[in-house]
Amino acid sequence: MNARQAVGLAAIALVFCGLYVRALTAPAAARFVPPRAAGEEKAAAPRYATQLLPNSSTQSVHSATALEIPGGKLRAFWYGGTREGASDVAIYTSVYSPKEETWSPERAVMTRELAQRQLQRSVRKLGNPVVGRDRAGRMCLYFVSVSVGGWAGSAINLTISEDEGETWGPARRLVASPFFNISTLVKGVPLLLSDGTIALPVYHEFLGKFGETLRLDGEARVVGKTRLSWGKSSLQPVIVPRSETEAVGFMRYAGDPPARILEIRTTDGGAHWTEPVKTALPNPNAAVGSVLLVGGPLALAFNNAEENRESLSLALSTDFGNTWRVARNLEGESLPPHAPVAEYSYPWIIQDSSGSVHVLYTWGRSRIKHVVFSRAWLEGGGR
Amino acid sequence: MTATSFFGLLGCGLLCLALVATALRLDRFSVRVRQAVAVIAVVALFVPVGGLPLAAYLRGVTGDLSVPTLALAASACVSRITGRSLFAPRECSALLGLVAAAALFLYPFALGFTPFDPYALGYASIAFTTALLLATLAAWRAGLNLIVFVVVAAAAACLGGVYESRNLWDYLIDPLVAFYALIRLGAGAVGRTFPRRQS
Repeated sequence: MNARQAVGLAAIALVFCGLYVRALTAPAAARFVPPRAAGEEKAAAPRYATQLLPNSSTQSVHSATALEIPGGKLRAFWYGGTREGASDVAIYTSVYSPKEETWSPERAVMTRELAQRQLQRSVRKLGNPVVGRDRAGRMCLYFVSVSVGGWAGSAINLTISEDEGETWGPARRLVASPFFNISTLVKGVPLLLSDGTIALPVYHEFLGKFGETLRLDGEARVVGKTRLSWGKSSLQPVIVPRSETEAVGFMRYAGDPPARILEIRTTDGGAHWTEPVKTALPNPNAAVGSVLLVGGPLALAFNNAEENRESLSLALSTDFGNTWRVARNLEGESLPPHAPVAEYSYPWIIQDSSGSVHVLYTWGRSRIKHVVFSRAWLEGGGR
Repeated sequence: MTATSFFGLLGCGLLCLALVATALRLDRFSVRVRQAVAVIAVVALFVPVGGLPLAAYLRGVTGDLSVPTLALAASACVSRITGRSLFAPRECSALLGLVAAAALFLYPFALGFTPFDPYALGYASIAFTTALLLATLAAWRAGLNLIVFVVVAAAAACLGGVYESRNLWDYLIDPLVAFYALIRLGAGAVGRTFPRRQS
């Protein structure tokens, strides 16, 4: 062995020791953090209120996401611009005060130009935002950006706020695909796992349409991923855990008729998932939202039609998704006022710490609508 | 600018320079002209245009480039600017063969057509690490130093967090070098199957 060979062998030994140490110390399989108990509702009487979020900035809005902040308030995000995919699309935010029952004027937190500068790469347009928290309680805003092409060219970025969304750190790119890191998008709620890592539901729509979860470590770096489905017809996974090991997931369906919401399940903390099966609920190739309400019923917000997004309903399941009953209709032909464009889509549903349930969704592409109600109203029958 | 952005832009700048040098066939010109063009190209790549350096526009499309792409880009730059070859043809062919094999294993499955996702192995898999170690040792034994260099550099870069990705695959391969390898090997196979007749 000559000196050059010896150096080569030593280098191999050194880096592979590092790779083995990395493999042996990688985060082990984690468990879900079961939903926290919400407080008792202040009023037992059914309560239902709606309002449109402020929008003095843009002609078109879409894809709302929200989370609770201190004081029982809600901070929402969505994207808006001249139209979907336009270069002036930005991510906007607004805060809801339950005391005043009003939303603050919207303001942009991320523009294409800002993302481009912070990511140090060209960005053509922005897309879906999704908000969650990391183990330190920081607010994490994941958002889609596209450098070239349509939504199939998407990648996910992350920016973090340490002051409940008032100011934001520099955005950075999450790498989730080996093919130019394109075709990864977000829509579902990020889940905090028992070891402090995050499971971020994502989906791909380049050649195939399928779902995955990305595992993010404490520094919000992607350190693993798990495939939720495969093929060309399932996307926008939403995952709802009910115990440390058990969860159900729902996915938008983009395949052949009959058009139904897809369902997946895990019993080992998300390490393995069942193959997607069609539920009894229709799906017009549109996103759904779901939350496990305190006390057990699973709520699902969905477009209650196979071919359009002109109705939006809430379904309840008392057996964790095996059977459903449509409890309320939020939008539909018989429910004025109608939006200029009859599209009610991309619902985001959460239950706050007081027990109130909030649904935010795209209302006619021109506004984000907020519906807040009590569980008593939800379970009170058809509207 | 973050360190990961710096390294990402540097890699894209190197590829741009290699493309410029190859497109202009810089080796036809005098050494002074070659050096001047190279300097101008480097400056142009990193001067902001519309708030971003030119290299960032390529980065927006390609993402961060793998070590084999950078090695081949560096080789093209050196060859076109100094007239010397950085790597022996045998070394390059072996690297491209390995890249092509990896591409055929990785991309069809990573694009979601099956439940199996080889890309996930790149985060921290004992099996994947062992397979790569065996391949690297075989290359070392055969005296294929370029492969050894590429794997060692990719692993070190991954462990050091040079790019935003923590996935070893992203340091070992990217679609650019994969396409290049498959085309080169395909063309070579066609050439051997249908040799040109001497006139």
